Formats: sequence, C-alpha cells, structure tokens
Amino acid sequence: MDRTERILDLVALLLDAREPISWAELREHFPADYGGSDDAAERKFERDKAELVELGFPLSYVQGDDERRDGYLVDRDVYYLPEADLTKEELAVLYAAGSAALASGAFPGRDDLAHALRKIGFFAGESLPTPRVRMELGTGQEGQEKEVSARLEQLWEACSTHKWVHIVYGSPKQSGPTERRVDPYGLALRRGVWTLVGYCHLRQGLRTFHVHRIRDLKVNTARPRTPDFEVPADFSLDAHVAYFPWQYRFHAPMEVALRLSGPLASRAGSLFPGAVLEPVEEGVTRARFPVTFVDGLMRFVLSLGADCRVEGPPEARERLEQMAARILEKHAVVDGNGQRVIA
Amino acid sequence: MSNVHERLRRLLFLVPYVSKHPGVTVEALAKALTISREDLLEELDLLTCVGRPPFNPDDYIDIYVDNDRVYVDLDQRLFAPPRLTAGEAAALAAAAELLRPATGDALQSAVSKLEGIIPPAARERFRDMYRKIDATAEAPLALGPLTQAILERREVTFGYASPGRVPEPRRVRPYELLSNRGQWYLQGFCHTRQDARLFRLDRMEDLAVTATAFQPPADARADVPNPARGTTGDSVRVRFTPTAAPYVKERFGQDARPLADGGVEVRVAGDSERWLTQWVLSFGGEAEVLEPASARAAVARAVHASLGS
Repeated sequence: MDRTERILDLVALLLDAREPISWAELREHFPADYGGSDDAAERKFERDKAELVELGFPLSYVQGDDERRDGYLVDRDVYYLPEADLTKEELAVLYAAGSAALASGAFPGRDDLAHALRKIGFFAGESLPTPRVRMELGTGQEGQEKEVSARLEQLWEACSTHKWVHIVYGSPKQSGPTERRVDPYGLALRRGVWTLVGYCHLRQGLRTFHVHRIRDLKVNTARPRTPDFEVPADFSLDAHVAYFPWQYRFHAPMEVALRLSGPLASRAGSLFPGAVLEPVEEGVTRARFPVTFVDGLMRFVLSLGADCRVEGPPEARERLEQMAARILEKHAVVDGNGQRVIA
Repeated sequence: MSNVHERLRRLLFLVPYVSKHPGVTVEALAKALTISREDLLEELDLLTCVGRPPFNPDDYIDIYVDNDRVYVDLDQRLFAPPRLTAGEAAALAAAAELLRPATGDALQSAVSKLEGIIPPAARERFRDMYRKIDATAEAPLALGPLTQAILERREVTFGYASPGRVPEPRRVRPYELLSNRGQWYLQGFCHTRQDARLFRLDRMEDLAVTATAFQPPADARADVPNPARGTTGDSVRVRFTPTAAPYVKERFGQDARPLADGGVEVRVAGDSERWLTQWVLSFGGEAEVLEPASARAAVARAVHASLGS
C-alpha cells in the first residue's frame, strides 16, 4: 500500500476508535504493510508514527489496566482545529501579512505559512479580507528569488530542528567563497534582505550571513530528530543584525551629529530612526545617534545632498571630505591640453 | 520536508474543506489548495482508496466529482482540519511581524489566539520557532491606517514631499501597498495629479483616512521602477573599483563587465540625473562616471553641494 494511503488509513482508524488499538491489532489490520519480521514491521510503524506526530496528530500509547487494554489512542479534542474567534482586524493582519509574505517568493517556512493561512481561513468563510499588500523581498540580484526561496526553506527547517548546516559562502570582502559549518540560530529581514545569524565553526563565533550570498547549503541529515546544538537563552537576533549600513560593527561607537534642513528637516525621524532630534532653528533639525561604521554613514550623507551637513565629530567630517575629494578627483574635467581642471 | 508529509497535510485539509463547502468547483478547490487541476484529480483518486479497517464499503471516504463539482458523502470523521502545527503557527506569526508597527494591538491578540489553537504540547516549540524569524523592523507606522483605508475603500489625504521639494497636500484613492528592497510604497489614484501614482511611505506626513468611499479597479498592480533601467536610450557608463566590484556584480550579474584591474563597468539609464548622482555618491569614491561629460559634471556639482563649497 502507498505510504500516504496507509497513514491516512491510520488516521481514519484512530479517529474512529473508542478503545486503544494494540500493536497486534494494527498488524492484523494492515497485514501487507506491517507483516514480515517483527523488527522490520516495528521500524516501519515507528516511521509512520513519527510522521503522524509531525502532522500534529495527538497520538499516545496508553498502558492498560483492569478496565482497558494497552494500545494507541488519539485525543480527538486536541486533533480538530477549533475556531480561533479572530476578530475582523486580527484576521486582516494575519491574512494580509501572511499572503504578502507568501507572494513575495522569499519567506522562510513558505509551506508552513500556506497551510497556516488555509487553516485560519477555514472558519472565516467568505468574509476573508482581500489582501492588498505586496512585498518584494530578499534577493540581491533580479532572478535570484527561486534560489533564495529554496535556501530559506532549508534554513527554516534547520533552525526549527536545530541541525547544523554546511554552507559555501561568497562574501564580497573575500576573494573566493569559503566553506563553513554553521549552527543556524535564526533569520532576520532587514531592508528587504534576509540574514542568517548563527554560530560559525570556522570563525568560532557568532556571525551573520546574507542568504542571497550562500552559494550552496546542506543540512546535516544525520540523526534528524536529535538536535545538534542549543541556542543560548539570552540570544536575540536583533542584537546581531544591522538595519542601516552605519550600524555594521566595524569600530567602537561614535556619536555623530547631522544638521538637516529644507525637505530633509521634517524627514529626520524616518531617515535616522532612533536618533535624538533637536530643533536648531526654524526648518532645521539636528539628529544625533551612535555610529559603528562611519564610512557607511558618510556615503549616505553624500547622497542626501546639500540639505544634510555633518556637524561632528571632526573624524566624521574628515572622512566625508576625503570621500568627496576622491570623487572630485575621479570626476575632474580634463581640458584640451590634457590638464585636469578642478570641477 | 518529504513529499509524503506535504501531501498528507494537503489531504487532511482537503476532505474537511469539501465537507464544509459541498459542491465546490474543481477549479475553486484547486485554487484553495494551490495545486493544479490535474494534481487535484489525482488526490481525489487517492482519497477514494482511503478508509479504515475492516474496509467494508461504508468504511471508505466517499468523495466524488459530479458535473465538475466536488462532494463528500462519507468523510470518515475528517470534518475539520488538524490544528496548526508549531511550524505553521510560527511561520504565520513571524510573517505578521512584517506589519507589526502598523497593526497595534491586533497583532498581539492574534498571536495569542494562534497560540491558543495549537496543541498544548506544541506551544513551547511554537515559541521557540517564532523567535527564529525576525522581520519586525520593516514596516512604517503609516501601514496601519493605509491597510485600513484600502480594506474599507476610503480615500486618504497626506502631505507628500517629492524629492528635493517641500511637502504638498495630496488626496489619493489607495489601491495597494508594496514593499520593494525594504522600501514601502502606496499605489493609488492621485486626485491632485489626476493620474495613477506610486508614493513612498517615508515621504508622507499628516496622513488621514477620509469618509469618502471609492470603488477600486479590478487590477491595480504597479511595479516599482528600477532607475538603473530607464526608458530612453541614453545610457551612462560607470566604472567601479575592485573594492566595490563584488557588490556591483551581485546586483548587476552578467551586466557588470569585468575590467583588467579587477573592477567592473556597468551601463545604467541616464533618465534621472538626481538618481544617478545619488547612486554614484553612495559608493563614496569607489565609483566613477566615465561618460557622458554632462553626467560627470553633475556628480562633481553634487559633491560641491554636499560640502557646501
């Protein structure tokens, strides 16, 4: 019998049973499947049982007594999905976000997510809100969505079962790809890019990896039901993943003050979330915040144009001037005699 | 995940779904399960063989297609789907985090209700898995009222600052929210401009949902334009140093031409001088516009403006 069919038969049998069903009875019911040697039959049933547990089937083995015999029993009340009594707003949030994540093509646990959405929609009938939220996430280069999506799915499984992964990683900072074993602690999404955070056995420490830079990934398949590692209790994803380039931890924190004027003054809060904002004069705002990668901030400042000035510290201002000088040198105008004319 | 697992999850949902929606069309059922019509018919075939011992005629699931509609007469107690597994609930809760700042209390209460409908034994695993995806920081506050306005089909007003300009009042029919590379946009019809427009959420201020209702068009999908690929034929050649090359290659792939020094060269659209200069400046000296001369001069001008010189 086909394995899918056999497991469904088991579900139907157990959901209907009022008394525990013993292993001997199961063997009688499925002679072709659980026949053969005792060992082989038991192993086969163990695998089927594991699958049922994975599906959330509340199967337990009861020890018999005077009243009852030994055997397998399912708790029907725990099996069936009850109504969650979600309000219209709650359903809208879950549905809009879930559908958007699913449609984005790159969200970890896509299969799980699709099933979850179906299930919460089961009792909603026709009143399911139409989601009008769409997300394009997760890839560096166009056309990479499929690969990123597949990696995220593998990582979701490895994260949830606590199995290590072997990755081939292409960092732009290294000349060639590196191979390493990583204990995956979790996945974080920042500005449309997925990052894996985990313990890197090569570097012997916590490291972050952009998922779109993982060229190859294998999940440890040995002893699939035994966890390979424990995530430290105080671990927090957010503490390890930068949202903006100036938050990459390349040097000790330095407080930078920016002066924002014109149209940027009112956008200071959204440009630099978390910054301390102070009004300087009418239409001018000062933003102060800690920076751990000053070059990353200075590049962004340059791209903002005349309405953003660096007030301090001097090291930051100096970096900005060095970058500016380099750009000007590269973009100098050359006159008819081949002489550089400062633009 | 194995194929068997995926299939079982689907079938354990399929029977209750048909039980709840007797006479659902084959097409609607396939859509609800996101599978093809052929795959669905195959699944229905398999289900007719499923039953419980001793496998008398009444012990089988009786599911059939009649006149392109699906019915189930004997569901063998599969009248409701199984509860959410820890993984399913965690993936959904983590996805909902994408809209967290925008959703107020609804997200928190939805997540605790989700936790309430997973088997008690799976709750710890749910909490463990839920922590493994962090997508919280992505959504701006304006998503909340805008989602509400889209669902209730009501017009919105806000002040909008086009690049380099002071904010102007706009009145807009909101159609769709979309996020591209971490940037959120509202797509809608702008009464002020009498045209379809895409608005960046971070450029909006004083957002208000009005009482004016509207009927959205059937398909109001828009794509975020990629400024590197313009509409006119004029292109700009930009060269990158070996330091910046890997990042550029990542984004441009084959379109990034390798140079002898380890750098790369790309051609991008010259439609928007503003975008081009910002983009070149954001590489902080690792990028150089080769031609045209007008674009080189624009970059130099922008640097002077930034320095205030």
